[in-house]
Amino acid sequence: MLSHFLLMVLYALLVSLFFSLLWRRGRREQIRLFLQIFIGMVGGGLLVAWLMYPFPSGPPAPIP
Amino acid sequence: MADSGTPSAPQPAPLPVQGNAAVAVLSAWLIPGLGHFYLRRRLRGVAFLVLVLVSILVGCWLEGNLYQVVPGQPLTILATLASMGMGFPYFLLRYALHYQGNIMGPGYEYGTAFLLTGGLMNLLLVLDAWDIVRGKKE
Repeated sequence: MLSHFLLMVLYALLVSLFFSLLWRRGRREQIRLFLQIFIGMVGGGLLVAWLMYPFPSGPPAPIP
Repeated sequence: MADSGTPSAPQPAPLPVQGNAAVAVLSAWLIPGLGHFYLRRRLRGVAFLVLVLVSILVGCWLEGNLYQVVPGQPLTILATLASMGMGFPYFLLRYALHYQGNIMGPGYEYGTAFLLTGGLMNLLLVLDAWDIVRGKKE
Protein backbone atom coordinates (compact mmCIF):
# COMPACT_ATOMS: atom_id res chain seq x y z
CA MET A 1 0.00 0.00 0.00
CA LEU A 2 2.94 2.32 0.58
CA SER A 3 3.16 3.13 -3.08
CA HIS A 4 4.17 6.65 -4.04
CA PHE A 5 1.63 6.63 -6.83
CA LEU A 6 -1.30 5.41 -4.73
CA LEU A 7 -0.54 7.91 -1.98
CA MET A 8 -0.33 10.67 -4.56
CA VAL A 9 -3.69 9.64 -6.01
CA LEU A 10 -5.25 9.47 -2.54
CA TYR A 11 -3.89 12.90 -1.69
CA ALA A 12 -5.15 14.37 -4.97
CA LEU A 13 -8.54 12.74 -4.38
CA LEU A 14 -8.91 14.25 -0.90
CA VAL A 15 -7.76 17.72 -1.93
CA SER A 16 -9.83 17.89 -5.11
CA LEU A 17 -12.96 16.65 -3.33
CA PHE A 18 -12.42 19.18 -0.57
CA PHE A 19 -12.00 22.17 -2.85
CA SER A 20 -14.81 21.19 -5.19
CA LEU A 21 -17.17 21.08 -2.19
CA LEU A 22 -15.75 24.27 -0.70
CA TRP A 23 -15.67 26.46 -3.78
CA ARG A 24 -18.64 25.31 -5.85
CA ARG A 25 -22.31 24.82 -5.04
CA GLY A 26 -23.89 23.30 -8.15
CA ARG A 27 -23.37 19.58 -8.72
CA ARG A 28 -22.14 19.99 -12.31
CA GLU A 29 -19.73 22.75 -11.30
CA GLN A 30 -18.43 20.62 -8.44
CA ILE A 31 -17.75 17.68 -10.72
CA ARG A 32 -16.07 19.93 -13.24
CA LEU A 33 -13.77 21.52 -10.65
CA PHE A 34 -13.06 18.13 -9.07
CA LEU A 35 -11.90 16.74 -12.40
CA GLN A 36 -9.81 19.82 -13.13
CA ILE A 37 -7.96 19.68 -9.80
CA PHE A 38 -7.64 15.90 -9.69
CA ILE A 39 -6.37 15.53 -13.24
CA GLY A 40 -4.14 18.56 -12.77
CA MET A 41 -2.52 17.13 -9.64
CA VAL A 42 -2.10 13.54 -10.83
CA GLY A 43 -1.22 14.52 -14.38
CA GLY A 44 1.17 17.21 -13.16
CA GLY A 45 2.84 14.71 -10.83
CA LEU A 46 3.27 12.20 -13.62
CA LEU A 47 4.61 14.90 -15.94
CA VAL A 48 7.22 16.01 -13.40
CA ALA A 49 8.14 12.37 -12.77
CA TRP A 50 8.56 11.84 -16.51
CA LEU A 51 10.73 14.96 -16.81
CA MET A 52 12.91 13.81 -13.90
CA TYR A 53 13.28 10.28 -15.21
CA PRO A 54 16.62 10.83 -17.04
CA PHE A 55 18.28 12.20 -13.92
CA PRO A 56 19.88 9.72 -11.52
CA SER A 57 18.33 9.56 -8.10
CA GLY A 58 21.64 9.36 -6.21
CA PRO A 59 22.16 8.02 -2.71
CA PRO A 60 19.37 8.47 -0.15
CA ALA A 61 19.48 11.65 1.89
CA PRO A 62 20.91 11.27 5.40
CA ILE A 63 18.42 11.23 8.23
CA PRO A 64 18.93 14.29 10.45
CA MET B 1 -15.46 56.20 -24.71
CA ALA B 2 -15.99 56.87 -21.09
CA ASP B 3 -18.74 54.70 -19.69
CA SER B 4 -19.36 56.76 -16.61
CA GLY B 5 -22.94 57.28 -17.69
CA THR B 6 -23.81 53.60 -18.04
CA PRO B 7 -25.38 52.04 -15.00
CA SER B 8 -23.22 49.48 -13.25
CA ALA B 9 -24.28 45.85 -13.16
CA PRO B 10 -26.69 45.12 -10.33
CA GLN B 11 -24.93 43.71 -7.33
CA PRO B 12 -26.41 40.53 -5.84
CA ALA B 13 -28.25 41.17 -2.62
CA PRO B 14 -26.28 40.09 0.45
CA LEU B 15 -27.46 36.83 1.94
CA PRO B 16 -29.16 37.09 5.32
CA VAL B 17 -26.85 36.86 8.29
CA GLN B 18 -27.47 33.65 10.14
CA GLY B 19 -26.28 32.12 13.37
CA ASN B 20 -23.78 33.40 15.88
CA ALA B 21 -20.39 34.18 14.35
CA ALA B 22 -18.36 33.21 17.41
CA VAL B 23 -20.17 29.89 17.82
CA ALA B 24 -19.86 29.10 14.12
CA VAL B 25 -16.15 29.88 13.95
CA LEU B 26 -15.25 28.18 17.22
CA SER B 27 -17.23 25.05 16.44
CA ALA B 28 -15.80 24.98 12.91
CA TRP B 29 -12.30 24.99 14.34
CA LEU B 30 -12.98 22.58 17.19
CA ILE B 31 -14.52 19.77 15.17
CA PRO B 32 -14.10 19.72 11.38
CA GLY B 33 -17.44 20.33 9.70
CA LEU B 34 -19.27 21.25 12.89
CA GLY B 35 -19.45 24.92 11.89
CA HIS B 36 -21.25 23.99 8.68
CA PHE B 37 -23.50 21.65 10.62
CA TYR B 38 -24.36 24.51 12.97
CA LEU B 39 -25.13 26.73 9.97
CA ARG B 40 -27.53 24.07 8.64
CA ARG B 41 -25.21 22.92 5.85
CA ARG B 42 -25.46 19.45 7.30
CA LEU B 43 -24.54 17.36 4.29
CA ARG B 44 -21.54 19.54 3.53
CA GLY B 45 -20.53 19.47 7.18
CA VAL B 46 -20.52 15.68 7.22
CA ALA B 47 -18.58 15.56 3.96
CA PHE B 48 -15.95 17.96 5.33
CA LEU B 49 -15.72 15.98 8.57
CA VAL B 50 -15.06 12.79 6.63
CA LEU B 51 -12.49 14.41 4.34
CA VAL B 52 -10.51 16.07 7.13
CA LEU B 53 -10.65 12.98 9.36
CA VAL B 54 -9.51 10.72 6.53
CA SER B 55 -6.59 13.05 5.90
CA ILE B 56 -5.63 12.99 9.59
CA LEU B 57 -6.07 9.23 9.93
CA VAL B 58 -3.99 8.50 6.85
CA GLY B 59 -1.34 10.85 8.21
CA CYS B 60 -1.28 8.96 11.51
CA TRP B 61 -1.28 5.60 9.75
CA LEU B 62 1.78 6.70 7.78
CA GLU B 63 3.39 7.83 11.05
CA GLY B 64 3.81 11.42 9.91
CA ASN B 65 5.01 14.24 12.11
CA LEU B 66 2.44 16.09 14.20
CA TYR B 67 4.35 19.32 14.53
CA GLN B 68 5.16 21.07 17.75
CA VAL B 69 7.36 24.10 18.24
CA VAL B 70 11.06 23.29 18.31
CA PRO B 71 13.26 26.00 19.90
CA GLY B 72 15.62 27.52 17.37
CA GLN B 73 13.51 26.42 14.40
CA PRO B 74 11.06 29.26 13.70
CA LEU B 75 9.42 27.47 10.76
CA THR B 76 8.07 24.88 13.15
CA ILE B 77 5.88 27.63 14.62
CA LEU B 78 4.05 27.95 11.30
CA ALA B 79 3.84 24.19 10.88
CA THR B 80 2.50 23.82 14.42
CA LEU B 81 -0.15 26.47 13.78
CA ALA B 82 -1.13 24.65 10.58
CA SER B 83 -1.38 21.35 12.46
CA MET B 84 -3.33 22.89 15.29
CA GLY B 85 -5.80 24.06 12.67
CA MET B 86 -7.36 20.61 12.85
CA GLY B 87 -8.74 21.61 16.26
CA PHE B 88 -9.69 19.00 18.83
CA PRO B 89 -8.06 16.09 16.98
CA TYR B 90 -4.66 17.78 17.39
CA PHE B 91 -4.96 17.93 21.15
CA LEU B 92 -6.44 14.45 21.30
CA LEU B 93 -3.52 13.04 19.36
CA ARG B 94 -0.85 15.04 21.15
CA TYR B 95 -1.97 14.95 24.76
CA ALA B 96 -4.39 12.04 25.13
CA LEU B 97 -3.01 9.49 22.70
CA HIS B 98 0.59 10.75 22.98
CA TYR B 99 0.94 10.38 19.25
CA GLN B 100 4.43 10.76 17.88
CA GLY B 101 5.43 10.33 14.29
CA ASN B 102 8.15 7.91 13.31
CA ILE B 103 10.91 9.60 11.39
CA MET B 104 12.27 6.18 10.39
CA GLY B 105 8.89 5.11 9.00
CA PRO B 106 8.67 4.71 5.23
CA GLY B 107 5.63 6.98 5.02
CA TYR B 108 6.91 9.71 7.31
CA GLU B 109 7.07 12.52 4.74
CA TYR B 110 3.75 11.61 3.19
CA GLY B 111 2.13 11.29 6.59
CA THR B 112 3.37 14.73 7.57
CA ALA B 113 1.88 16.16 4.39
CA PHE B 114 -1.47 14.51 5.13
CA LEU B 115 -1.49 15.78 8.72
CA LEU B 116 -0.61 19.33 7.69
CA THR B 117 -3.22 19.19 4.95
CA GLY B 118 -5.89 18.13 7.45
CA GLY B 119 -5.09 21.12 9.64
CA LEU B 120 -5.02 23.58 6.73
CA MET B 121 -8.27 22.21 5.33
CA ASN B 122 -9.96 22.85 8.65
CA LEU B 123 -8.61 26.41 8.78
CA LEU B 124 -10.22 27.01 5.39
CA LEU B 125 -13.45 25.59 6.77
CA VAL B 126 -13.30 28.12 9.60
CA LEU B 127 -12.99 30.93 7.04
CA ASP B 128 -15.83 29.43 5.01
CA ALA B 129 -18.06 29.29 8.09
CA TRP B 130 -17.16 32.92 8.77
CA ASP B 131 -18.15 33.90 5.23
CA ILE B 132 -21.44 32.02 5.51
CA VAL B 133 -22.35 33.56 8.83
CA ARG B 134 -21.57 37.04 7.44
CA GLY B 135 -23.82 36.39 4.46
CA LYS B 136 -21.00 36.51 1.89
CA LYS B 137 -21.41 32.90 0.82
CA GLU B 138 -24.33 30.60 0.36
